[in-house]
Amino acid sequence: MSPAPSGPLFVSPPVAPVVDWVRVLPIVAALPAAVILVWGLVRGRLPPPMGVAGLVLTLTAYGLGMLMVMEESKDVRFCGSCHVMTPIVESLNATDGSSLAAVHYSRGLVSTKEACFTCHSGYGIWGTLGAKRAGVMHMVRTLTGGYDLPLELTGTFDITSCLGCHAGAASFRAVEAHQGPDVQQALLSHSMACTGACHLTAHPAEALTGGKGAS
Amino acid sequence: MMRIACVLALIALTILIVVAVHLDGATATLFSFIGIPALTAALALYVIQRWRVGAFRRAPRPSTT
Repeated sequence: MSPAPSGPLFVSPPVAPVVDWVRVLPIVAALPAAVILVWGLVRGRLPPPMGVAGLVLTLTAYGLGMLMVMEESKDVRFCGSCHVMTPIVESLNATDGSSLAAVHYSRGLVSTKEACFTCHSGYGIWGTLGAKRAGVMHMVRTLTGGYDLPLELTGTFDITSCLGCHAGAASFRAVEAHQGPDVQQALLSHSMACTGACHLTAHPAEALTGGKGAS
Repeated sequence: MMRIACVLALIALTILIVVAVHLDGATATLFSFIGIPALTAALALYVIQRWRVGAFRRAPRPSTT
């Protein structure tokens, strides 16, 4: 594999250090709350105004923390931090076109920061919530070991994620197979998927079994 | 009861700070399955404690006669 280019085009311009408020604000709310709670722990009681302040600050910290987790957990690195997902995330860097996900990721066709979330969440707020609910179930299965290898998608993949970008693209519409009414109906009714019959598999088989993906 | 509520809330806040400093699958799991339940339990204990000391009882109306 050739070394990654390092010329001026590939070096991010220097930026002034910025405060990551998404991460800082929960801590800012948590610290005074912790002081009040330690006081309550030592004294065994809290005056009502202090109790309310401790309650509000703690709930605010957790509310901000939940927003932070919701936002930051879209990151590809977060998805790859669980052992069972690590090979899948590593396989995204393959440049040999061995999987549909790698083609999208390595060519920058999806955000390289939020690639997993982009394809595995539906559109709108319900899509985001559905993806987060699925993520919580992933954590439950990771904790309990309640998954089988090779990994399989639960249910059918919602190709609305694919069509959201491709359906309006001239190159997609120009393909003869995409112009057939039967194919279009099958795609829209989700009885036909993009992968399998016509296109590459989404992820390489060896990555789904916990092995290393192609590099 | 207040001390237990404070300890549980402090556990929840510690986990929150750990998550804010370093978010990954392990810390997110801690946050979801220990932090949030600990905070919920602390909140419940605090409300029960306040209820037992009569904080939520309506004060008697002053007599008008």
